[in-house]
Formats: sequence, C-alpha cells, structure tokens
Amino acid sequence: MNEPSLRKFYAWFTALGLLVGLLVIAGYYKDEFREWKTYQTQFRQEELRRATTPQQKLLAENTPVQIRQILLPELHRVDRCTTCHLAVDDPSYGGYAQPLAYHPLSDQHPFEKFGCTVCHRGQGRATTVADAHGNVPHWDEPMLPLRYIQASCGQCHQAADNPAAPELARGQQLFDDSGCRGCHKLNGVGGIIGPELDKVGARRSPEWLRQHFLAPSSVTPGSAMPPQKFAETNLEAITLFMLSLTGEPVPGYYASMKVIPSSSQGRRLFEQKGCIACHAVGGVGGKIGPALDDVGLRRKPEWMIQHFRNPQAVSPGTVMPQFGFTESEARALTDFLVHLRDQKVALSLPALMNPVERGRAAFRKYGCIGCHGPDGKGGVPNPNAKTAEQVPGLLYVADGYTKAELKARILDGQKEITALDPKRPPPPLYMPAWRGTINDAEVDDLVAYLFSLKPKGDDVGF
Amino acid sequence: MNTPLPQRLWQRFTRTRVGRSIFRVGLPQSKLERSQAMVSSFLLHVQPAKVNRHSLRAGYTLGLGLITLYLFLILIGTGVLLMFYYVPSTQQAYDGMKDLQFVVSAGLLIRNMHRWAAHLMVLFVMLHLGRVFYTGAYKQPREFNWLVGVGLFLLTLALSFTGYLLPWDQLAFWAITVGTSIAGYAPVVGQKLRFLMLGGHTVGQEALIRFYALHVIVLPALAVLMIGVHFWRVRKDGGLSRPDEPGDVVGQVELGQVPTNKTYGLMELAQGTTPQVGKNPEDEVFAWPHLVFRELLLFLLVVAVLLFLAIFWNAPLEEFANPIHPPNPAKAPWYFLGLQELVSYSAFWGGVVVPGLLVTALAALPYLDRGCRGVGRWFARERIVANTVFTICVLAAIVFTLIGSFFRGPNWGWVEPWQKPPVVTEGH
Repeated sequence: MNEPSLRKFYAWFTALGLLVGLLVIAGYYKDEFREWKTYQTQFRQEELRRATTPQQKLLAENTPVQIRQILLPELHRVDRCTTCHLAVDDPSYGGYAQPLAYHPLSDQHPFEKFGCTVCHRGQGRATTVADAHGNVPHWDEPMLPLRYIQASCGQCHQAADNPAAPELARGQQLFDDSGCRGCHKLNGVGGIIGPELDKVGARRSPEWLRQHFLAPSSVTPGSAMPPQKFAETNLEAITLFMLSLTGEPVPGYYASMKVIPSSSQGRRLFEQKGCIACHAVGGVGGKIGPALDDVGLRRKPEWMIQHFRNPQAVSPGTVMPQFGFTESEARALTDFLVHLRDQKVALSLPALMNPVERGRAAFRKYGCIGCHGPDGKGGVPNPNAKTAEQVPGLLYVADGYTKAELKARILDGQKEITALDPKRPPPPLYMPAWRGTINDAEVDDLVAYLFSLKPKGDDVGF
Repeated sequence: MNTPLPQRLWQRFTRTRVGRSIFRVGLPQSKLERSQAMVSSFLLHVQPAKVNRHSLRAGYTLGLGLITLYLFLILIGTGVLLMFYYVPSTQQAYDGMKDLQFVVSAGLLIRNMHRWAAHLMVLFVMLHLGRVFYTGAYKQPREFNWLVGVGLFLLTLALSFTGYLLPWDQLAFWAITVGTSIAGYAPVVGQKLRFLMLGGHTVGQEALIRFYALHVIVLPALAVLMIGVHFWRVRKDGGLSRPDEPGDVVGQVELGQVPTNKTYGLMELAQGTTPQVGKNPEDEVFAWPHLVFRELLLFLLVVAVLLFLAIFWNAPLEEFANPIHPPNPAKAPWYFLGLQELVSYSAFWGGVVVPGLLVTALAALPYLDRGCRGVGRWFARERIVANTVFTICVLAAIVFTLIGSFFRGPNWGWVEPWQKPPVVTEGH
C-alpha cells in the first residue's frame, strides 16, 4: 500500500499552528493593552516630573499599574473611575486637565464612602472612556452633564435644605408653583392624568425632559400635557429637579447623613412639633413660653443648642420638656430661630389658619393650579373642550354649585369632557377623581377657598 | 530519509523511560506500531486501527460531526473558566459580565469564544444532521445512531437555550420569556411545563438557578454520555456510511459467515451478529496518521476560526434585565425564531403541532424510510423523494427563521431590514 509522506501533514500543521499562534498573540495584545494603562503611565510621568527627592522618585516609579476601584456595597456599586482619574484626591493637581484633575470635595462626601457614579452617573465598573462615561449603546445612565449636577444632591437631600444646590431648590419651587402635581404623582401626592414622576430622573435624559416641557406631544405622541412656557433659566431648573427624581433608595449610612440641618428644616420641625402651642411667633401662638420673634437677639446659638438638648441644664426650673431632638434637629431648629427675624417667615401652621387659607394651601399642594391656573383663573388650553377649548376657570363656582356638589365634583372628578367638535379627538385633559388622595377636611377647605374666589361686589343679585 | 525535526524530537522523547511509559508505542514506524498506536491509547481507541479511504474524503463528511465535537470541547473548556467568575444570582450575574469585560484578564475573549462556539455548535449540529440525511447515512444498520443524533440535536438546543439566560441582560431575559412561553402553548401540560422550567410563572431568580444547574452540569453530562454512545455506535455500526461497492456490502452478517479476508476481528464473539467492515482491505489505510492527523488539523482550524471571531466581535450584552420594560419586539434565540414566526400565526399550530411533528418525523425517519439504496453518496438519485421532502422542510425552516430574524419589527410587524427602523416612541 502506498503510504503518502507525512510531509504534507507537517506543512499543514506548521501553517495552522502559526495561524493559531498569531491569533493567540493578537488576543493577548488586545487584552493586555488597555486604555486605562496609558492614563496611569501619564500620571506616573507627571509624578516623576514633579518628584524632587529620590524617595519621591522611587515612590512614583514603584506605583503599580493596576485597576483602582471603590467598593460601595450599600450603594450596589463598584466605581473604577479612579483607575484613570488618579489625582481626584490630590489638591496639588488643582487646575490640571482631565483625567488628572483634582476634585474639590467637602468632608461630608468622602470618596471611599460615596465613590463617583452616585452623583455623576456613568458606568462605574467600566474601564474605557466611552463605556465608563456611559455614552454607549445598552447603558441607561450616561454621565450627568455638569450643569445638572445639583440634581444629584436631590437624590438624598431635601431640595430646600441644601444651600449648595440653589438651582435644585428653584426647580422644586417651580414644580410646586406650576401645579405639576395636578396631573402627576410625586411621593404619592398628585393627580393621575400624567405618569408618576418618582423615577423620572432615572428614565429620561435631560434633552428629552427639556423637549418634553416645551412640546410634550413631540416626544410623547398624544400627550395630554399642555406645552409649558418656561423661560430658559426656569426650563433648566425644572429639568434639573426632574433629574433629581431617580427613586434610588438611600441605604443605611447614607440615610443617616441625608438630613442637612438648615433653617428650612428647622421651620418644618417647628411646625410639625407644635412649638406654637407654647411659644408665639408674630403674635400668634401660646403664652406658656416666651415669644420667639427676637430670640436670636437674646440668645447665642450655643445656648439654644444646649437648651434643645436639655432645657434644665441652661434654664433651671423651666417647664419646657426634653424633646429628645437629634443633634441635627437641634441645629436646624437653632438655625431657624436665629434667622427668624430677618427671614420674616410666614409659618404655615394649619391649626392657625382659617379654612380659606388652608384651602389655598391645598390648592397649591395638589397642583390644581396646573390646569385651573393661578388663583383658579383658568386658561390652560384643552383642545376641543366645549369650554372655549380651555380648562374652565373657577372664579364663579359659587354661582354654579352648592358646596356639596362642588365637593362631589372634586372627589369623583369628571372623566368625560364635552367635546366642541365630536369629529375631532376628545379633549385630553379631564378632572381626575381625588377621592383617596385628598382627605375630607382638605376638601372642605378647598371648597371654602373656591367659594371665596368670587370677586367681591360681583353679585348679579337676581 | 531526511526526517523532519518535530518528528525526530518526538521519537527521541518517546524513547526515554518517561516517554515510553506514557505513550507505550513510540512514534509509529511499522504497520504494527500504527495499529498499536490506536488500540493502546485511551483517547484514540474509540477509533479503528484502519479506516476506509472513503471516510477520509473531506467532501463526504465535510468534517461536520467532528467540528461539532470540537466546539463542544471548547465550550466545556471556556465554560469552566467562566464558571470561576459567574454567580447565578439576579443581583450579581450581570455585574459579573461587566467585570469579565473590564477587569478580568482575557475575560471578554473567553466569553466571546464561548458565545460564538455555542451559536456555531447549534449551526453545525444542524449541518451535520443535514449531511447525514442527504447521504442516507441513517439507514440500516445506523437507525439507532440517527435517533441518538436527534437526541443530541435537541440537547444542543437545550444547552444553548439555558445558557442564553445566564448573562441576565435584557436580551437574555426576554429571549427566555418568549422561548418558554412557546413551550407554554402545549396543550394540557404546557403551563405546567413552563412552571417546571422557570420555577415560577415569570423569569426570575428561580429560573436563573434552574437554567444554571441545567446548563453547567445536567445537560453537559448528558451530552457527554450521548456523544460517547454516538461514537461507540459509529464503530459498532461499521464505521462511517459508504457507498455500496462491488464486494463491499456493509451490513450485519451472521458470525458463521465472517469473511476470511478480514484483517482483524473480535475473537471473543462466538454467536450473534457482528458488523462486517470492508471486504477490500486495500481500500483501507491506517488511522495513524491519515485519520488522526486530519482530525488534529481540523481542530487547529476550528480554534483559529473561533479565536478570530472572538477577537474581532464581542458577545452581545444589553441593559440589565428589566421585567417591566420589554423590548419591542422581544425575540427568542435565533434557532427558535422560525418557531416564534409560526407562533405569531397560530400559537397552537406553530408552537405545538409543527415542532411536535418535526421532531417525531425526525425520530421516526429511519424506521419509515427503509430502502437501502443510495447510501453513502450525496443527493443520491435513488433518494430523490426523501431528499425533496427534506429540502422543502429545511427551506421552510430557513425562510421562517430569516423572516423572524430580519423582517419582524415592533409588535411583530413586517419591516424590511434595509429600511431605517421606525422610531418607537414610548407612551407614558
């Protein structure tokens, strides 16, 4: 039998073996030469350039080239940003260009506790620029543009409490004043015409939000939302506030850190704890304790904090009980009282208000203004509604309804709005039923407020 | 004779005390040693000492079965490496994928190889099945091995499908949601079956741990066993199928009729039947080196192709699985897209009757198609009816799979792949 030579096989083995070898080498190179290593080399060279003593040179030379990461188990994150941003915690790198820039940071947010992505977003586990900054397909959280960075403060802190985030506070104010809650629920309070906003900041991009405010139906076809005529600065502020609504849970350690002792938090505490029962402010309140209008002039802040901790310690024989305030609560209350005079704060204490005032507060709280306009003057467009294609104003409800009828209308709503032209699409806005959201006492107050809207001396007087 | 260097080195090694203890036979020189090389080696002894020239023709087998085996071995190797990093938890699985990509040395390369090898294995099992059909190789005495092969085909699909869920991204989650709901269309048992697969009514942690256990131990162990049986039967059924040649009838013969011109045989068998392996010894060549070297070369080729794919194309990884945000359309893995297309016409016919009939027909095929002619040749004229019917089925499967893959857009509506996909705007 003719046995062919093995030479042919050896040639094939050599060729294919070389091919596999080359591919293995190619695979190794692709795996070994990673983007972040060039940044670490750049950092090392900078360190070497700056080194003045032999010890510093040695240190710089011996810095290992390796992945750096911040493990944040409570936040379910691993942030590898410092693999490239190597000088974030070194003030001597202030003014350097990225990736070697220093990141100024207050002591309240140490890197090892907060990492980076919890504020800046992006993809913490990634180690390439494109992937880490998150502008890649299949990653939902690209980095937040720096002009919206205050939104991240709002993930944990009350917007109004944070002096470092004025735009955030302004955004929230706009949200409350514009009556967004008339249609949208936030933290369980609000209407049902639009979607809940609790996680809107994680779902939507800044561009989407801006576009949506200006022309809702251009990004959400068929949206019932009327276009919002925000000026540019307000548009940015309300977009920023929306971005703060990520719904990300604030876990243990972070929850304990999230209260910023501020004047506005002090005010909320003052209202909630019922201080007014014993102390008067602006002539309103109890007389058991001293009036507090000018307490900031009489007492030093240190004294007040001591007093909140243990009234007897600084004011023997006082009848004020020890309330067990936390340290930050005591500081917040003190802050509030110190500034009471110059702030001329109008305390909104439901117990001290008359029904009409309480109703006005509820009108604002539930966002009725969003559709019925400021002070119920109406005018928000509702295409194809029989009422002049607008949401009707409320100035004259006292003429058309009894109090019981009005109450029923608020609680049960009106789903069907009569169309002007039956051939066109039905009017998008309608009166939602508020039963279950607004409690009975609040409805009574609302009715009282709405009845008070009728202009004085405007009675036709049949 | 001028011996090549590797050969000389190998010879020197096998003459040492250690080398001889391992390999028993050195690099074979004589015909005796060539036979011994095969018979005395654990890894090689599943193959005969001599093989028919016809079986070595690349144009006959195309190496499809062997390629499938190599892909399976590579899958085991890369799969074990992936297991060192993978945690079958809905909270950690996806992060593990990201870590493989971004921080594990060669992690992405290994995952890519595993992914592409898995897809290719499904493909090559199908191609191998086609080859066996078109050459009539399932006919007597190889009926049972065809049946084992059909089982291995289904097992491969199951292996790929269970692996599909493990990255726990949107692609995985929704492909498995769609795939298992196709199973749910079966009458009476469908929903129970789906519940059994998922360990619940929806895809969640229970489904993940089930799919993981099936994927890494149950199904691979079964596959190893059945591959063993498959190969064993190839030997016992008389080697690869061959065309009838004058004086070379492959078939079971009574032992009393064992031909005298056989070059080897099982001496212990005294009664019953034994396969008759080639009456023409001159048509046979020694497995070493003619078969073994070809096999090794093919292995190198498969490794090269896989490495190439893995270096230049990354395995897909979408967003973290989100049960409340289905992609539109949600698609099953590609090998089930033909089924999904059929299901879109009728859940019962497409999801139950057609696949049920297909599998039954495949399994029953060698017992229905009993003619003995046209074995061992591609597209034999004698088998024109069977080949036509099979081709129609294959073409239909390809067409439906292509439609499901490329022509279906949002809400399973018709789209043309070369057109810009319609912008899907989400409502509130």
